[in-house]
Amino acid sequence: MKQFYYSITLVSVLAVLILAGCGSAPEVNKEASTSAIRAAEESGASKVPSASLYLQLAKEELEFAKALAANDEKEKAESMLLRAQADGELAVALSRSVKDKTEATDAVERVRQFQIDNQLPQERK
Amino acid sequence: MLLSVCDNSKLITSYHKKGNNPMKPSTIIITAVAVLLLAGCASVPPPELVNARQSYEQAINSPAAQLVPAEVHKAKQALAIAEKSFKDDPKSYKTVDLSYIADRKAKMAVALGVTAAEQAKEENANKEYQSAQDQVMKNTKSDLATQTENAKTANENLAAQTQITNETKADLATQTQMTTAANTDLTKQTAITKSAKDDLAASERTVDQKNLQLAAETGARMDAENRAAKAQAALVKLAAVKEEARGLVITLSGSVLFASNKSSLLPAARERLSQVSDALMETKERKITIEGYTDSQGSDKTNMDLSQKRADAVRKYIISRGYSAALIEANGLGKDRPVADNASAEGRANNRRVEIIVDRGPVNK
Repeated sequence: MKQFYYSITLVSVLAVLILAGCGSAPEVNKEASTSAIRAAEESGASKVPSASLYLQLAKEELEFAKALAANDEKEKAESMLLRAQADGELAVALSRSVKDKTEATDAVERVRQFQIDNQLPQERK
Repeated sequence: MLLSVCDNSKLITSYHKKGNNPMKPSTIIITAVAVLLLAGCASVPPPELVNARQSYEQAINSPAAQLVPAEVHKAKQALAIAEKSFKDDPKSYKTVDLSYIADRKAKMAVALGVTAAEQAKEENANKEYQSAQDQVMKNTKSDLATQTENAKTANENLAAQTQITNETKADLATQTQMTTAANTDLTKQTAITKSAKDDLAASERTVDQKNLQLAAETGARMDAENRAAKAQAALVKLAAVKEEARGLVITLSGSVLFASNKSSLLPAARERLSQVSDALMETKERKITIEGYTDSQGSDKTNMDLSQKRADAVRKYIISRGYSAALIEANGLGKDRPVADNASAEGRANNRRVEIIVDRGPVNK
């Protein structure tokens, strides 16, 4: 009797798994890549020439990963998602580096102007 | 772009699958070449891996190696994984994708290095800005302190100058007061001097007048003295005249002037008194005292009345001759002051007399 219930349970689990597998394409974790793309967009990467390229690549790679997943090529899809994540993160880094460079330039200029306005000696760079 | 495939290896592989014949020398050579090509295909990395290696080289030669070593390390690890995949399965999509990811990791390390450098640059600029602000603040405080000190000094100088000004004003007020006082004194002295001058002029006028008066008086006195001397000389001829302490005494004998026991003047007496009066007129400003005397015979009352009447008769006559009545006094003295012995007739005759005493000087008016 006990063995019977065990067999019923095992069959039920297998049935659920089979039904789930037949219902849709294999799921891939797109969270990391979509987060990287969102972060790149929020950092203004689309307006930074050097970063916008990688943002565009990340988006294409995401779409391609989705296509691969839909084509039941889960491993390739996951690998492609890693590429999308890497491009997204690179877009963020480039966008921030340009932004930081602008801010640093502004800070240096502000110091220089402040020194001129107050007739202070300027440090030689 | 995304599909990275070794087309050469496909060609070689297809080519390799056709070779089932016994091996000829040419076949051996071809086979060897094919083996070499296969080996070469295995050693030729995909472009992604080549790019990843170049990117990594750039990363380790950039400031990122110093600034973000952790990111460079991640790139290194990613490249190592790609290299391993390439070694294990050079044709796989995994090798391509891992190389792609390693390239991005290396690029990201460079980008983060740039970011870190720029942040450091900005931080230094901010520090420098803060330092400059501190310097400006310090300079401003120093300037303010200097200005405060200068203002303090200026206030002290102003206070000193104000003090000097006040003292000068006080001195000026004192000097003005002194000048006013001096002017007042000068005015007073001028008035006094003027008064003194006026007094002096008045005195001089008075002196002149007095001198004139004195000269006139002196002249008058000399004139009077001359007239007195003339009168005295004339009187000496008319009667007994002698100088006494009480004045010039002219003694007229009673027998010449009056009848016995009478007080009316005899005619001869009138002529004599006329001459005496004329002589006295020369000294008419002098006081004259007429004293009548009798001898000792008869009662005193009778003698006093008779001597008074006789003195009055002489006074009246001299007044009638023009002498001032106010200057003539008449006194009856009876038998007093006899000038001779009443025992004898001659003595009694001499005692019966009238004396006219003329004062030495003119009457003070």
